[in-house]
Amino acid sequence: MTRRHYNKMAAAIVLILAFGLPLVVRSATYLHILVLLYFYAYLTTSWNLVGGFAGVLPLGHAAFVGIGAYTSTILYLQYGISPWIGMLVGGVLASFVGVLIGLPTFKMRGAYFALATLAFAEGIRVMVENIDRLGPFVLNGPRGLQIPPLKLGLGNLVFASKEPYYYIILLMLLAVLALTWVIARSKLGYYLNAGGEEPDAAMALGVNVARSKLTAMAMSSFLTALAGAFYAQFTLYIHPKSVISLDLSFEIAFIALIGGRGSIAGPVLGALLLRPVSDFSRIYFGDTLPGLHLVIFGVVLILVMIFQPRGLQEPLTRAYNRLLDRLAPGQTKELGT
Amino acid sequence: MLFLIEDAINGILMGSIYGLTALGLTVIFGVLKVINFAHGSLLMVSMYAAYWTVALTGWHPYLALVIVAPAMFVFGYYLQDIVIKPIFKAEQDVREPITVIIVTTGVWYILDNLTLLLFGPQYRTLQDNPLRGRMLEIGQMLISVPKLWGFAAAVLTASGLYLFFQKTRLGRAVRATSLDRQAASLMGINQYKVYNIAFGIGTATAGIAAVTLVPFYNVFPTVGVLFDIKGFIIVVLGGLGSIGGALLGGIIIGLIESVGPQFMTATWTEAIVYGLFLLVLFVKPSGLFGVRYDW
Repeated sequence: MTRRHYNKMAAAIVLILAFGLPLVVRSATYLHILVLLYFYAYLTTSWNLVGGFAGVLPLGHAAFVGIGAYTSTILYLQYGISPWIGMLVGGVLASFVGVLIGLPTFKMRGAYFALATLAFAEGIRVMVENIDRLGPFVLNGPRGLQIPPLKLGLGNLVFASKEPYYYIILLMLLAVLALTWVIARSKLGYYLNAGGEEPDAAMALGVNVARSKLTAMAMSSFLTALAGAFYAQFTLYIHPKSVISLDLSFEIAFIALIGGRGSIAGPVLGALLLRPVSDFSRIYFGDTLPGLHLVIFGVVLILVMIFQPRGLQEPLTRAYNRLLDRLAPGQTKELGT
Repeated sequence: MLFLIEDAINGILMGSIYGLTALGLTVIFGVLKVINFAHGSLLMVSMYAAYWTVALTGWHPYLALVIVAPAMFVFGYYLQDIVIKPIFKAEQDVREPITVIIVTTGVWYILDNLTLLLFGPQYRTLQDNPLRGRMLEIGQMLISVPKLWGFAAAVLTASGLYLFFQKTRLGRAVRATSLDRQAASLMGINQYKVYNIAFGIGTATAGIAAVTLVPFYNVFPTVGVLFDIKGFIIVVLGGLGSIGGALLGGIIIGLIESVGPQFMTATWTEAIVYGLFLLVLFVKPSGLFGVRYDW
């Protein structure tokens, strides 16, 4: 067997596991944790389009989660529009906002972009907390919005059990991963990479760095907003501190960075490793040791940045390659990152 | 009209304390060219240090300075030396290492949540200290006394820093490193030692700010986040790296917060502050009183 066969086999095993898991895991609590795990993996993968490939550090992605969640929820509650459509509307709105924030900031370097996105997200949160009604739209300020689970079904994206949510977010995650894979191999991917590493050199070669970053930002914020709408339908309750919080923005960035930004598998790997830490420490130590998981996140983040700046995906990729060397020795290496 | 003046004066006083909390941020940026995201958390740690010093010894609140400021200098010095220096060594060619932002954010999370673990989420205040609620009456206006002292501390600290950077040998070494770290190294300046010292100084000013805050402000684990984000806004408003700019930026924020509620719901002032911040960032990123940096 060649490397290509092994790669395919590994992918098939992962897919079968992912799709088969709800048949084995019957507990609603564990399914809930898994759904949130995929939700985070989806968010970090979307974040990675800007934070990874474009080489900047967005620290306000919760704003887009919030835009998606609030748009679809308001449209659903007040106008009876299906969350699937609301999701897309929210996505378009978020990508518009993303471009608006990227337009002036992408010309700046490092810190300013991080600060601008952070302040922007916090500004949105403060505004939502202060607004009860925005024209015809009811936002309910800090109290948030509740979705009564009356009309069940795929069209309304409300289900009585966790399984449908599980498959929907899994499919969303696979789609965004496929998209990332395509982008990484496209002209846009190379432009982003070049612009992230050496903006001056890339510009000298005729790459429109700002423009490719804007494209990435538009896509990233669009995708992030979709997940926001999903989250609203999954938890049936959103408020500014849950969907637009600073902690959410940071957690997205942290997970992606620990997993390995700029790689396809990194953000997913980060979510796989870190989400269980946070969930279980919250379940078992939430009362006695509040905030323990965030201490762990912080320590892991610092250690990874010092000793493994390209994320945990790097040593794991190397280990996988060594395994393949042993299974299929003497073959030339396949291209692929 | 009078109450408007009263609000404005109290706003300027509180704003100068905001500026004081942001001084360290601007010093560290000026030298290391990175934004220390953990600055608010360092302020929070200082506030706990000041709180416990006073609560346990029963000293006058301002006397805590002799313990808190040196302790925070040492804390900042070794934080930079142990946690941040490795990043600088690994990314020597990068002019503004983004990784440092990430690492300091990690420090932020560790400090805030460790404090939560150790001391719990409750708000602590220094009960019956001589400064609490003290007011100065000028005509019919009431001016808060601890804020007045805070204003004095802010001006003194800022002038002290300015003199230190302009007049002393060490200050000149710090400035040389901030201009060109390679050239400074070639001139025999130990670049990393200068970074440690700058970080220590920045953290010590957070200590000074904490001592002035503790007599009238609540101490709780996430108090730093409040000042962290205000600090970012202040230093960008005033121009990153500018000492005077930090004070002026702080005063602007203080004025918006104190005079604003006369015209709108108090919580909206926060949104105004963010709006102003984004506006400055987009229109004039070098800040209102900018030192010009190549952002």
